[in-house]
Order: sequence, then structure tokens, then C-alpha cells
Amino acid sequence: MIPFIVRKIVYTLLVLLGVVVVTFFIRPPGDPARVLLGQRADSASVAALREQLGLDKPLYHQVGTYMVHLTKGDLGRSIASQRPVSETIMERLPATALLATTSILIATVLGILVGVVAAWKPNSWVDSTMMSVSLLGISLPAFVVGLLLVLLFGVVLEWFPISGYVDRGIEYLVLPMVTLAIRPLAIIARVTRSSMLEVLGQDYVRTARAKGLSTSAVFVKHALRNALNPVVTTVSAWFAGLLAGTYFIEFIFNWPGIGLAAFNAIEKLDYPMIQGTVLFTAVIFVAVNTVADILYGYIDPKVRIS
Amino acid sequence: MTTFRAESPSRLAWKRLKKNKGAVVAMAVLLIMIFAALCAPWITPFDPTTQVLEYSVKPAGFTGLIFYKINPSDSESPSIVAVRDYQVRGDSVYYHDPAGEAYVIARSALIGSGADDFVARPTFWLGTDRFGRDIFTRLIYGMRVSLSVGLISESIALLIGVFLGAIAGYYRGRVDDGIMWLVNVVWSFPTILLVVAFSVLLGKGYWQTFVAIGISSWVDIARIVRGQFFTIREQEYIEATRALGFGTFRTIFRHMLLNAIGPIIVLSSAGFATAIIAEASLSFIGLGVQPPTPSWGQMIKDGYGYIALGTNWGMTIFPSIAMAVGVLVLNVFGDGLRDAFDPKTSQR
Repeated sequence: MIPFIVRKIVYTLLVLLGVVVVTFFIRPPGDPARVLLGQRADSASVAALREQLGLDKPLYHQVGTYMVHLTKGDLGRSIASQRPVSETIMERLPATALLATTSILIATVLGILVGVVAAWKPNSWVDSTMMSVSLLGISLPAFVVGLLLVLLFGVVLEWFPISGYVDRGIEYLVLPMVTLAIRPLAIIARVTRSSMLEVLGQDYVRTARAKGLSTSAVFVKHALRNALNPVVTTVSAWFAGLLAGTYFIEFIFNWPGIGLAAFNAIEKLDYPMIQGTVLFTAVIFVAVNTVADILYGYIDPKVRIS
Repeated sequence: MTTFRAESPSRLAWKRLKKNKGAVVAMAVLLIMIFAALCAPWITPFDPTTQVLEYSVKPAGFTGLIFYKINPSDSESPSIVAVRDYQVRGDSVYYHDPAGEAYVIARSALIGSGADDFVARPTFWLGTDRFGRDIFTRLIYGMRVSLSVGLISESIALLIGVFLGAIAGYYRGRVDDGIMWLVNVVWSFPTILLVVAFSVLLGKGYWQTFVAIGISSWVDIARIVRGQFFTIREQEYIEATRALGFGTFRTIFRHMLLNAIGPIIVLSSAGFATAIIAEASLSFIGLGVQPPTPSWGQMIKDGYGYIALGTNWGMTIFPSIAMAVGVLVLNVFGDGLRDAFDPKTSQR
């Protein structure tokens, strides 16, 4: 087990190295200093900014400096606010984490429920309706879903506020959370359904039925437990993706998380801020996946040999 | 005497696809969309950039009186003047604009020679946006952008993904390790973030957007092709190509790739839909295809401010519906393709 974990961690570090290099190159085309100051800026101030940002050094030197700073947790300074990027990210993290965790929670619980109900009587009208709606949920990008929810529940029905953070009340969480949850919910429901149908066709389920267990006992005790494996994979894969998903949601609902900070940075081409948020999301994604891989290795010895 | 004809796998797949009602409907809708996008100039009543500022933010089904004025810089597309009422007296046309201001214009400055050639009362089927541009027209032109993004970006992704996947799957060993490392690095970034990052790097614009999306979405294709090649490589007919002395290139691209084509086609149709969403997302945040070229994401963003005001929901709703339908039919068609190519994975 230990060699497996070591191998995983070394490989993860190698991947992170690549991630850092890719992140380093996220910057405006041409001369970033020129782009930031505009065409009319005099060459002296452009040169000064270049020096301040370290852009006058050769590229390998810049990459090296960037990495050395990263090991100290220094993501650089935002060009717009002059504050350390890491500070802004830490400050914004709770808002994004709250949104992402509540969404994945609701998506997992409801998604499994919908999937099981749909698998109860495959191809019945309940199943067809649920699967059609979930296909719609997959087909709509999150920001469109968000806008439609804003229109229906915010503007027409006036049930929930359409913009703002939970510090003003828990009702502010509802629309952003639901918007973010819809896509993973639809996918989890579909995965659960097809996984259930596969498990239900297996011999041991037939045996369970043959010995006279009720349908609900077969479903919940025997089938669901085995059908959950692919669902767990989907959920863990989605959780990291959700962090990226929050970007658009935070923008639409004016939710003060990392995504909103990234958005404002994109508008101003504040590239240290863009790099910082992208890198942060990617590192979380890699970390979650590595932990998941190690857990699989722990559960299933076959995974360890490769 | 009975003759038997062996049917090729793609022919069998086509037969199965034809039996799938959902997939056939999806394909029909898709063909209509492609046709509409190709014929945009002939089926739309306006030019996508023509502005009638007096008729801005009007609801669906709005009709308004307009004059066609000769456009000195472009004789093909006359400029449009919004009018409340008018009177022709000799060589001059007296009219009131929608705000009630009185104006006079020479008949010769308007198009046509007949009595009523210059005046029309068109219906804006889906209403107008904040510059008084026809939403229906922009929707159809936006479809051009979305479909070309799907086509071009997916082609770029296919080119990179198939090439790297094939090489990794064929050579294995160190080559595979190197390519898989790259795959894992790119895979570490959520696709939409990577697209945003590349857009910052490449700058805004039409082609930049296509490239940004293309080079962000090849990873899944590379993985699938690699996996396919792992199995195909062990088959006897590949050994036969080696025995016959075929070159590596010929073996990979003529013999192995053609046998892996099913999953690649299926993945491409899903990638097509993802590319459309990615482009809309980019346009929505102001990167991507730039105004005045109409794109769905941009239209949705433009209308967003009006949703809260409750003025003209159509500005956001119609492009949203268009995109939902587009992505939905691509997904249904893709599912149909998957079932047709590999009946084993069919859910029914």
C-alpha cells in the first residue's frame, strides 16, 4: 500500500509541475505591461511596470521565480488592488465552499432518489419524464439555468432574492445553490438509474427476489448499495468541477466568492489574480482526485497494480 | 440461390440509428438548424446589425412602421428609419417619428420608385434588443457562430486528440507516459477555466475563441483513442499488417483508426455540444466572439439586465431556448449514435 501511495503522490507532484507551468502562461498576449497600461502610456512607465512585474527577465527566470514564490504560498499581487492574491482567495473561499458543498449535497441526495425512483419501473412514464427532464438539465449551461430561475422565482413569483450573500439571510442561498446543483443532479440521477438497472439484472438480485424479499428491500438493501460505486465516482469528480461551476453562478448572483473575484479580474486583465484563482481551482481538483485514487487503491487491491 | 451480402459496421449502425425515433427527430432538427444557419441572409427579414433605435427593447410580435432610406455607403442594405405616420407631398415625404417629432425627407433619398416602395410594417417576431435590432435575425446569425464553433473547435480537438491518443496507444511505454502526463496536466483544469485562460492568452475574437475551445477539449478524445488502440493493437489483423511489412503510419491511420471510429464519432457529437456551451459561456463573460457579430451568449448577457427590470424577457429567453434546443438535440443524437454503434451499452 505504501509504495502505491508514494507513487501516486510523486506522480501528482509531476502533474502539478505541469499545471504550474501552464498557469504561468495565462497572461495577456504580447507585452502584458503594455496591455495593462493601454496604448497611450509612455514607454518609461511601461518599462517601470515591466520591471516591477519581473517581465524584463528571461522567461525561464520568470517561471523559476514564479515557482519559488509558489512554494512559499505567494501567488503574486493583484494588479488592480495591489493586495496579495492569496489573501483575496482565502477571504473569498468560505463563500465559494458554502455554495459548492450545499449544492453537491443536495444534488447527491436528490440525484440518487430520482435515479432509484426512475429505475423502479424502467420505461414507465415516471421514468421517461424524469430522464427527459434530466437530459434538459444536462443540456442547459449553468448560467442559462440561473437566469431562468431568476426570472421565474425572483422576478415573476418574487419568492427569493436574486442577488446577494447569505449574511443578509439564508434565503439568499436558495437560487445560487439550486442553479449550481441542477447539472450534477441530472447527471447523478442518470448514473444512478443506469447503474441500478445493471445491478438489478444480476443473479444475486434474482436470488434475493426468489427468496421472497419485498421489492423495496431488494432495492434498498441489495441493489442500491452495489449500484452506488459509479455514483461515488461521479460525485467526487463533480465536486472539483463544481468549484469551476461556481464562477458563473457567483457572477450572476453577485455572490462574493473566488469566482466573482476571477470574473472581475478577467474584465481588467488582472492576470496575477486570474492565474491565482485558476491555479487554486486546479490544485483542489488534483488533490481531490489523488485522494480519491488512493482511496480506490485502499478499497480495491486490483487498482494498486499498474 | 440466395446471395448474402456482408454489411459493414457503419451500415448496421445507420440501420439501428434509423429505428431510434428520438435520434431521428434530433437529426431532423439539427439539419433544419444547419440549413437555417447556411441560408441566414435569405430567411431573416433584417441585417443582424441593423439598428432601429426608436424600436429598442420591444416584446415579441411587435410591428412598427419603417422607411427604407438609401444608404450611400452600401447600396445593398438600406438604412431604416422608424416612423409613426407619414404623408407624401410632391417630392417630399413628411413624417413623425415615434416620439412625435415632425420631419421632412426628399423622396429621392428613400429607396424604390413606386408609391409605397420605401415604407413597410415588418413584424419583429421575437422582439428587438436594446439597439432595436431584430432578435429573430440575430438568433439565426448567432446559430452560425454556434455551429461553426462546434465544427471548427471539435475538428481541432479531434486532430490533437486522435493524434496523441493514437501515438500513445500504439507506442506505449515512455511515449505513452509522456502523453498521459500532458493529458493529466490539461485534465487538471476544469474545461471552462482552461477555455477562459486560453482566451486571455490568445485575446478576444472569432478565431481565437475557436482555437481556445479546440485546444482545451481534446483530452477525452485522446483517452478514448488510446484505450481503443490498446485493445486493437493485440488483434491479429494488426499483426498481419506487420507481417505484410506495412509502415507504422499506414497501420495506425488506415487500419487501427478506422476500427476505433465508432467511439470517436460518439464523443465528437458530445464535444460539439460542449463547444457550443463553452462559446456561449465565453461570450457571456465578454470574452469570445465580439460584437457586433451576434452570438447566443452575448445576447443572453445583453438581455440579463432587462430580466430584473421585467421589460423584455424575450431578449434572454429566446437565445436561451435556442441554445437549449441545440445542445439537447446534439445530446440526443449523440446518445442515439452511441446506442447504434454499440448496442451492448444501450439502456433499453
